[in-house]
Amino acid sequence: MRVLFLLLALVLTPAHAQFNLNLDRILDTVKNVSKATKEIDEKEEIAIGRDMAARLLGAAPLVADARLQRYVNNVGRWLASQTERAELPWQFGVLDAPQLNAFAVPGGTIFVTRGLVAKMRNEAELAGVLSHEIAHVLKKHHLKAIQKGAQVSLAGDAFSTALNDSRSEARAKLISFGTEMYSRGLDKSDELEADRLGVVIAARGGYDAYGLPAVLQTLQAMNAEDSAVALMFKTHPAPAERLDALADKMQPTLDAYSGQPQLPERFTVEAKAAK
Amino acid sequence: MRFLILLLLFPLPGWAEPAVVIRATELKKEPATDAATVAELAENAALDAGERKGGWTRVKTPGGAEGWVKMLLLRYGGPGTAKAGDTGLGLDAEQINNAQPNAAELSKMASFAATKEASSGFAKRAKLQARPVDYPTP
Repeated sequence: MRVLFLLLALVLTPAHAQFNLNLDRILDTVKNVSKATKEIDEKEEIAIGRDMAARLLGAAPLVADARLQRYVNNVGRWLASQTERAELPWQFGVLDAPQLNAFAVPGGTIFVTRGLVAKMRNEAELAGVLSHEIAHVLKKHHLKAIQKGAQVSLAGDAFSTALNDSRSEARAKLISFGTEMYSRGLDKSDELEADRLGVVIAARGGYDAYGLPAVLQTLQAMNAEDSAVALMFKTHPAPAERLDALADKMQPTLDAYSGQPQLPERFTVEAKAAK
Repeated sequence: MRFLILLLLFPLPGWAEPAVVIRATELKKEPATDAATVAELAENAALDAGERKGGWTRVKTPGGAEGWVKMLLLRYGGPGTAKAGDTGLGLDAEQINNAQPNAAELSKMASFAATKEASSGFAKRAKLQARPVDYPTP
């Protein structure tokens, strides 16, 4: 009744411009409400993530070494347990690719390439990279980007279909869009946030907090023209900029936890297959 | 003599990486802020970088002075490690965009997953200790 009265009042307002403005606002509210109801829930996030992970594994299979894969799962699961999404079905995989890269898939699947592991010197560096990727999952960076993109490319009903029917054409479209994000990259602010949170997560796990900066410095020393880092450099802020940002925001945390273990010996033994 | 040959075969831990400091700083005798200052380094001073200890990296100046600088102040230069022709396989943009799902690898990956409890034992074996650390305020 009150709504009707308000609407009536609007209609009767002589100023035309004001009426339009108010009507637009009402329509916006209605739109936002319908958007909110299509928020991807955790179960859907995990299911979409599985489909995206299967695609990435189609681009590069796992390194065929059970010891290496179990090792990376142990490091990663331990780190994920220190976070607010500890109960996700976390899984980690080393992809058999020479390129240096790592990927976070919604729902708790993390990949790192053999090429990147080969450049690492100790377990703290591995922990730093995995923590950065875990932070992407915590903050749902990819999921939000997918949701935003899907609203443009998939009309209202098609988006629900994509979520509910894993064999639908709409689902295939959604997964393609989601997978292509790994060649387009996230917003720079998402990457810098994952760096900051990654440092914290590695420190929580008891590792030397300088693991991630050390890997960034390794990357910074590489030639940007090198094909092995081309995609990583295209989809991330420059390593030097990431190091600047960490020095700016995270120096106290880094220094407070720089004396924690790096575990070079265990890394050398367990990650041998990546070298 | 044998020692000399060994030295030639395995040079002492590499000073191999050329680097610069991104702003003026002090070259410290030890990896600590309160350590004695060996020299003042100007912005963009060229150095040879060696190993890292915590937040510090061991460096050597062209004049031969040795000491430690904050690792986040170092940027590495030089030719890098470009490997021409290292293309084709794996994870380039095109391969990612055109990939078909690999269900077999997906279930293989699930078989390697660690439980929370197992990973906790794994951490304990290396004396890793979980501690509360706050996220930075945005």
